[in-house]
Amino acid sequence: MEFELDDDAKQAIIRAREFVDRYFTEELAEQADAKEEFPSEMVRISKQEKIIDFSNPWKVLVTIEELCRKDPGLGISATISAFGAEIFMLFGNDFQKEKYMNPVMNGKATMGLGVTEAGGGSDVANIKTEAKRDGDNYVLNGGKMFISNGQIADYFLVLARTSPPPSPEKKHRGLSVFVVESKSAGFGINKLHGKLGVRATNTAELIFDNVKVPKENLVGEEGKGFYYIMTFFNISRIYVAAQGLGISQGALDRLIKYSKEMGKVNVDGELVEELQTAIAEMATRIEAARNLTYKAASFLFKFNPNPVITSMAKYYAAETAVYATQKAMELTSLAGITSDLERFYRDAKILEIWEGSSEIEKLIITRMMLKDQRGN
Amino acid sequence: MEEEYGILESTTRDFNSKYIENNSLKIENEKIDAQLVKALSDQGFFSMVYQPDGKKSTDTGAYSIVLETLARSSPAVAVKTLLTNSFLSIVENREILNAVSSGNKSGTVTFSDVIAKGGKDSKLIMENNRIRGKKEFVLGSDSDFIVTTVDSGELVLLKAGFKMGKNYKRLGFRSLAFSSIEVDSSDFEIIQRNGIDALRKEYDAIAIPVAAIAIGMSEGASEKAIDYSKVRTAFGHYLKDFQPLTFEMSSLVAQMAILKSYMIQTISSNPDIRNSLFLKLKSLRLAKDMAKTSLQIHGGYGYLEDFGIEKFYRDSMALSVLFSNEEDDMERLSTLVFGSKAGFV
Repeated sequence: MEFELDDDAKQAIIRAREFVDRYFTEELAEQADAKEEFPSEMVRISKQEKIIDFSNPWKVLVTIEELCRKDPGLGISATISAFGAEIFMLFGNDFQKEKYMNPVMNGKATMGLGVTEAGGGSDVANIKTEAKRDGDNYVLNGGKMFISNGQIADYFLVLARTSPPPSPEKKHRGLSVFVVESKSAGFGINKLHGKLGVRATNTAELIFDNVKVPKENLVGEEGKGFYYIMTFFNISRIYVAAQGLGISQGALDRLIKYSKEMGKVNVDGELVEELQTAIAEMATRIEAARNLTYKAASFLFKFNPNPVITSMAKYYAAETAVYATQKAMELTSLAGITSDLERFYRDAKILEIWEGSSEIEKLIITRMMLKDQRGN
Repeated sequence: MEEEYGILESTTRDFNSKYIENNSLKIENEKIDAQLVKALSDQGFFSMVYQPDGKKSTDTGAYSIVLETLARSSPAVAVKTLLTNSFLSIVENREILNAVSSGNKSGTVTFSDVIAKGGKDSKLIMENNRIRGKKEFVLGSDSDFIVTTVDSGELVLLKAGFKMGKNYKRLGFRSLAFSSIEVDSSDFEIIQRNGIDALRKEYDAIAIPVAAIAIGMSEGASEKAIDYSKVRTAFGHYLKDFQPLTFEMSSLVAQMAILKSYMIQTISSNPDIRNSLFLKLKSLRLAKDMAKTSLQIHGGYGYLEDFGIEKFYRDSMALSVLFSNEEDDMERLSTLVFGSKAGFV
């Protein structure tokens, strides 16, 4: 058992800190948040400087954490340009990797993942978007909701139904994943406005109106899409947990700074117990969330993912982010509400919703554990 | 008394339907407009503590019911009403009182003087019949009149000679101006020599009204979440059929009902500071918990302003920060609970 990050990961943390010090200005963060404006220039530089180094997943993980620690909206914007690319890596063919995955990994293109639908949410198997075979093409009809990079991605991996489910209980069958280019005819985008948080990120609704997709753009095998997406979630949830660690740590940083500069002290000149206790509790929860996340990551990065630990990490890190931001806001009072901490508070809540709500994560944990207990 | 409160609640609900609910997004994102201010005044919501004949009331009952009901639909409108009434309860100048209660002018009070001692960068100096300097954290900073304290301790009414300074990030109550003010004024009145004591008295007086707003926000958020969970399906079932969501929501609704009942009981008698603090602390906590759960029930849609739930998440935190110093309140409550000074080393 090793609790130390390797030197590469430590170096990535230093690089990420240098990057945020240079480019994550409060002015940029405020503007992106106030105007719901994607920070294109900063993201362009982050790609140019290869801030996300896909050659080492530990470096990706700690970089996400550090970037979100400085500002969640900017941090997430800078780290999701390749959102979904692992699906190419695991299930795509050489042509797809060359044409679609590599440009994203090299920072020359942006992609997104279209899974969630207006009526679906957590119920992934119940999606309504259809892809019907028509000669050498598939024709897509339907829509996707809450899609990150929706307005700025060059292409999307889209989950669609290619055949009816064999029974109502087996709705997860008959789903397939396609690459859909955003310049395709019949492809529409509605940017979503008025989000509570992560307003720097670009979120949109996608509409497919008889969108023709060449059959070469089917990823993996037809009918196995649900499995591919679930496999991807086992990866992405760890990165969401890393977002949670960053947000939590950012909240704790700000509470400690406030405590040192403005915290109430007792007659002995020590910080009042209320603040001391809060800092200890918050730090302990963050460390627990970090250990869970790193444990899930260590399984995954050795190609032996553990969905129970992954779901525990995602659920607990998200909850910790909400807890930490709320507690820090309460304790820092007017100083907090008028600082960037209020953005952290708004941003944190999405983590309990996206990439599998906390309720779904808990169901996964229990169902997998019960399955194991039965010896299956 | 409860029947009277029921009628008042029903009247305020009608007001919400007529003036707020169809404009709620506009109210959230823009300044509360003159038409709504006039309507609030005409309805008598700006005369809850001050009557045009000059009499002032200390009955917080009816006032709290109005605030609670307004907050169900718009926490910002409820807070605007709270600030206006607090202003009216402190100020004695009849001309100004009539102008503000009629909605023709506006007034606010800097409760931040009690909550955060005005902020570390605040400095308002009164000398040679002039007040100069800056005051941080003024909610309603675009008002025509501001009640605040100066560094020498007096509570003053600023009538002119001030302007809005730095705008703050606005977590909540976005239709109310929130900024510092820069002051260079010779047009003011001294209300009381011991300003902080006077302001603290008003801060204590609004404990129940603030709790009422928190309860109203909980009611507004839970109503939306319960309605949504009856129509939204997942995995072939309505959300209301899933235990984690419904048990949590039901438990919060139980807390809400108990607090509402305690509030009615408290406002129907002569509330003391102990009852008021119990109610305020628990109601503010509930509002935050309820907003969080209600947003979670809405999933991704809860994160969008169109569904009218995310404002409760923001406003519940803003209410607890802008109208409460939890640490001070807990110290005072501990002293009351333990019967002697407690919670201090």
